Amino acid sequence: MPRKPDLMPGTLDMLVLKTLARGPLHGYGIALSIKKLSQDVLTVEEGSLYPALQRLLLQSWVKAEWKMTETNRRARYYTLTAAGRKQLGIELSQFEQMIAAIGRVLQDA
Amino acid sequence: MSALIHFFRKLGILARRDRFNSELEEEMAFHREEASRQFQANGMAPGAAREAARREFGNDSSPMEASNEITALRVESVLQDVRYAIRQLRWNPGFTLVLVLTLALSIGANSAIFSVVHGVLMKSLPYPEAERISRIFTKSPAFPKFSFNPFDFRDIRERNQSFESLAAFTRGDMQLSGSGEPIRVHGFRITAGFFHVLGLQPQIGREFDQSAEMPKSDSQVILSDRLWRTRFGAAADILGRKITLNQQPFTVVGVMPPGTEHPGNEYHALNYGESVDIWRPFSFEGDPTQRGSHYIEAIGRLKKGVSAEQADAEVNSLMAQLGTEHPQSAGWGATVVPLQKEIVGSSRRMLLILLGAVSMVLLIACANAVNLLLARASIRRREIALRLALGASRLRLIRQLLTESMVIALLGGGLGLAMAGGGVKALVSLLPADFPRAHDIHVSAPVFAFTFLVSVATGLLFGLAPALQASHSDPKQGLHDGGRTSTGGGRQRRLRSALVVCEVGLACLLLVGAGLMLRSLLNLLHLDPGFRQEHLLTASLSLPRTTYKTDADISHFYDQLVTNLGSMPGVKSVGVGSDLPWTGYDENAGFTIEGKVAPANENFHARFHMASANYFRALGIPLMGGRFLSENDRQGTPTVIIINKSMADRFWPHEDPVGKRITFVSTPKADRDWMTVVGVVGDVKDKPNSHAAEPAFWWTQLQSPNPDMSLLVRGEADPQMLAGTVRNEIRRLDPALAFADVRFMDQIVDDSVATPRFAFVLVGLFAGLAIFLAAIGTYGVISYSVNQRTQEFGLRMALGAQRFDVLWLVLSQAAKLALGGAALGVGLALILARTLKSLIYEVSPSDPLTFVSVGTAVIAVALFACYVPAWRATKAVPAAALRAE
Repeated sequence: MPRKPDLMPGTLDMLVLKTLARGPLHGYGIALSIKKLSQDVLTVEEGSLYPALQRLLLQSWVKAEWKMTETNRRARYYTLTAAGRKQLGIELSQFEQMIAAIGRVLQDA
Repeated sequence: MSALIHFFRKLGILARRDRFNSELEEEMAFHREEASRQFQANGMAPGAAREAARREFGNDSSPMEASNEITALRVESVLQDVRYAIRQLRWNPGFTLVLVLTLALSIGANSAIFSVVHGVLMKSLPYPEAERISRIFTKSPAFPKFSFNPFDFRDIRERNQSFESLAAFTRGDMQLSGSGEPIRVHGFRITAGFFHVLGLQPQIGREFDQSAEMPKSDSQVILSDRLWRTRFGAAADILGRKITLNQQPFTVVGVMPPGTEHPGNEYHALNYGESVDIWRPFSFEGDPTQRGSHYIEAIGRLKKGVSAEQADAEVNSLMAQLGTEHPQSAGWGATVVPLQKEIVGSSRRMLLILLGAVSMVLLIACANAVNLLLARASIRRREIALRLALGASRLRLIRQLLTESMVIALLGGGLGLAMAGGGVKALVSLLPADFPRAHDIHVSAPVFAFTFLVSVATGLLFGLAPALQASHSDPKQGLHDGGRTSTGGGRQRRLRSALVVCEVGLACLLLVGAGLMLRSLLNLLHLDPGFRQEHLLTASLSLPRTTYKTDADISHFYDQLVTNLGSMPGVKSVGVGSDLPWTGYDENAGFTIEGKVAPANENFHARFHMASANYFRALGIPLMGGRFLSENDRQGTPTVIIINKSMADRFWPHEDPVGKRITFVSTPKADRDWMTVVGVVGDVKDKPNSHAAEPAFWWTQLQSPNPDMSLLVRGEADPQMLAGTVRNEIRRLDPALAFADVRFMDQIVDDSVATPRFAFVLVGLFAGLAIFLAAIGTYGVISYSVNQRTQEFGLRMALGAQRFDVLWLVLSQAAKLALGGAALGVGLALILARTLKSLIYEVSPSDPLTFVSVGTAVIAVALFACYVPAWRATKAVPAAALRAE
C-alpha cells in the first residue's frame, strides 16, 4: 500500500474544525468528509481522529451530543462552538502565514 | 483560568471514566460499521469489507489509549505507576524486605528522636503566650546565676518598664496534717500575680493579691487540683476552709486547675512539671535596708514587643541604680532568660546531637538503598532497554523508577512510624528522672508530618540517582548485552564505592562518638565521689516551728533521733545534715578570716552546711586533719566548724587551717564572735561531673540548729530493711511528723549519671545500627563486584593464579573501601567530636585510644563483611568461567 502523505502536525485539528464549520457531523462523517474533499489524498487515521476530538472537546472548541443518523443509528455528533469558530480563524490565518512563508522559501530556492 | 476549567473537566471525565470509555467504544464501533458498509457499497464482500474497515481503523486499543491519555489526570498515571511498582517489589520480596526494614529502622529511630526533640524543645510550654515568659536571675562574679533579695525584687517590680507583670517565688515545702497520716508536700511561697505571669487562673477562687504580701496576712493557701482531689475529696465548699500546714491553720482561697506546671526553679530546686501542691503568699518582712540575703526567684511576662535582651538591659541598669542606693545591693547584675530556654536549655545540645546521630543512620540507610537499587538497575537493564525501545519516554521511565523508590520509602516510613510508637515509650522510660518535659513527649501530628516528609525526602534521595542512571542507559546496548555486562559501567562502580566509603565513614564517626561517651561514662562511674554510697538510707525531715519553738527543741529532737537510731541493730552509723551530696543544695555565706584581708572587689565566701557529729562518718567522708565534730561541741562551748579540703587550699594554702578562725561579725569583739576550724574533711564534688568542689564548711547542728535536715542511716547490709525501723522511731518521737524522700544514696549516685548514660546508650545504639548497615553496604558492593568478575577470576586461575591471589584481590578492594571510610570517619570525628565537649567528662574529644580502636574495629568489620564474597571468588571454576563467555 503506497504511503499517504503525513499531515503537518497540528493541521488535523484545523481540518476537523473547518469540516465542522459546515455543520454538525459524527466522527465517521468527519473522516469521510476530509477524505472526499481532499480527493482521497488525506486519510484521517482513526487513531488520530478520536484523540483529536477529545482534545477539542476538552478545549470547548467543539461540543458533542448523541443523535440518531438518517439510518436510525445512534451516533455522537460534534458541533463547532463559538470558541471553536474563533480558534478556527486563528489557525487558518496562522496556516496561511506558514504556507506563504514556505512558498516564498520554495520560490527563492 | 483555562487550566482550572481543564482540570475540572478532566476530573469530571475521571469520575465517569467507564462511561467515557463505553461511549468512545460505541462511537468507534459505529465508525467501523459505517466504513465497512461503505466498502460493501463499493462492491466488496461483507467479510472482506469488515476486514478492510478493521485494517483501516488499526489497533482497536490505540485510539482508546490515546484518548484516555489526553483526558487523563496525573493522578491516574501515578496510580498506574504505583500499581506497577508494587508488582515489581512483590517480584523481589527479599530485596524489598531488606530495603523496607533497614529504612523502617532508621526512619523509625528518626521519628522517635524527633518526638523527643519536638516535645521538649519545639512545643511551646503549656502557658498562654509562653514565649513572653522569662526568668530573671541576679548575677555577680562569684555567682553567675543567683536568686533575688526580696526588697531588690520589689523595687525592680515597681520600676521596670519591660514586664507586663513580674512575680517572685521561693520553695517552702510544708507538712499537711489533719485528715489521715501527715504528709510532706512540695510548696512555694509566691508574690501576688505569680499565676498571672504564667497566664493561669485558679479553677475555684482567686490568686493572692498584694495585700497578702503584708506581714501577718499570709495564712492563706492555694491548693493543687491533685491535693484537692486526693486529700479533700474535691469538696465544692473548699474555699474558706481551714487546713493545717506545719501545725498552723491556713485558709484555702483557691484551687489551681489540673496541668498547672511549676516553671522549675534553682534555689532548693524543684524540676519543671506538675510537682507543686501548695502555694502560700510571700510576705515582705524585715528591714528593707538589709539586702544581703538572696532567696527568692523572679519570673515575668514581657510586654508585647519587648525582647528578653531589652528587658535584660533594663533590669541590669535598675540593679546598678539599686547598688547606688543600698550598699548590699552593689555588685549585682541580672540576666533575663526566656523560660523555655531555662527549662530545656541544658538538654538542648544533647538532643540535637542525638538528632544528628540518628540522621546519620538514615543517611547510611539511604546510601545502602542507592547501592541496592543501582545493583538491581543493572539487572533490570534489559527491561528498561526494552521499554525505552518500545517508545517509553525517559521522563516517564524516571517517574516510574522514582515511584518505586517512593513506594519503598513510604512503606519504610509507615513501618518506621509504628516502630517509633514503641521506641518513644522505651525512650521516655530510659530518660533521666530529672529530664525536663518528659511527659510532653508523644508521637503527635507533627511527628507524623515529619515522618512523612522524611520518607518522601528519603525516597527522592535514594531513588533519584538510580533512576537517572537507568534512564540514561542506551536501549541498543542494554538489549545487546542481554542484560549481562562485564563492566557494569565505570561511573556506576565509582559511585557505589564512594557511597560505601561514606557509609563506613559515617558509621565510624558515630562509633567514635559512642566510644567517647562510653569512656566518659566509665570515668564517671569509677569516679571517687568523696563518700561511700553503699548501704546508705536517706530521708528528709522538717520540724514545724509551732511545735519546735526554740533552737534547743530542734537540736534536742535530732540529737535524740541520732542516738536512738544509732543503737538499733543493723545500724552502723547515723547522722543528720542540712543536705546530701549532689542534691543541688547551695547556701552561701561571706565571712572575714582572722589576719587576712580579702582582695579588692572580692570577699571571702563559702558554702555553709549544718551537720551532726556523725554525719561525716555516716557518709564515709574521710578526715584529713584535726578532728570531727563531737557531742561536746554544743551551746555554751566555743563555736567550731569543719571545713573541706578545697576551703583549706583556697584560704590557707601552705598552712595548717586547724585552729584558724573566721567570723560573720564585721567588728568582732569577744571570742564568741569567732568560729574555729577544728577539722578538715575530704572534698565531695558539687556534682559528679564538676571538676572541683566549692569551698564549704559545716557547723554542728547542736550549735546552729536547722529545722530542715536530711537523715543518713548507714546499715550493715541492705538499708531497705531499715526504712521501717526509721519510720517507727520517728513516729515514736513525734507522731505528727512526716518524713519524705526516702532514698538510697547509691540511687542518688546512679541518678547522677543518668543523663550521660542515656546519651551513651542511644548514641551506642545508633552507632551499632550504623556499622551494621555499613557492613551490609560493603558486603553488597564487594559481593556484586565478585559476581561481575567471576569470569575474570576464573581466567586468572586458569592462567595460574593461586586461591590466595584471588582472595587478596578481593580483600584488597574491600580494604581500600574500609580504609577510605575509616579515614573519612576519623577526619569527620576530629572536627565534629568537639561538639561533644560539654557532654563528656575527662576525655579529650580527640582521645587517641577511642580513635585508634574505632578505626581498627571499623576496618575489621568491613573486611569481615567481605569475607564470604571473597571466599566465593576463590571458588570460581576456570572452565565454567570460560564457558559462560
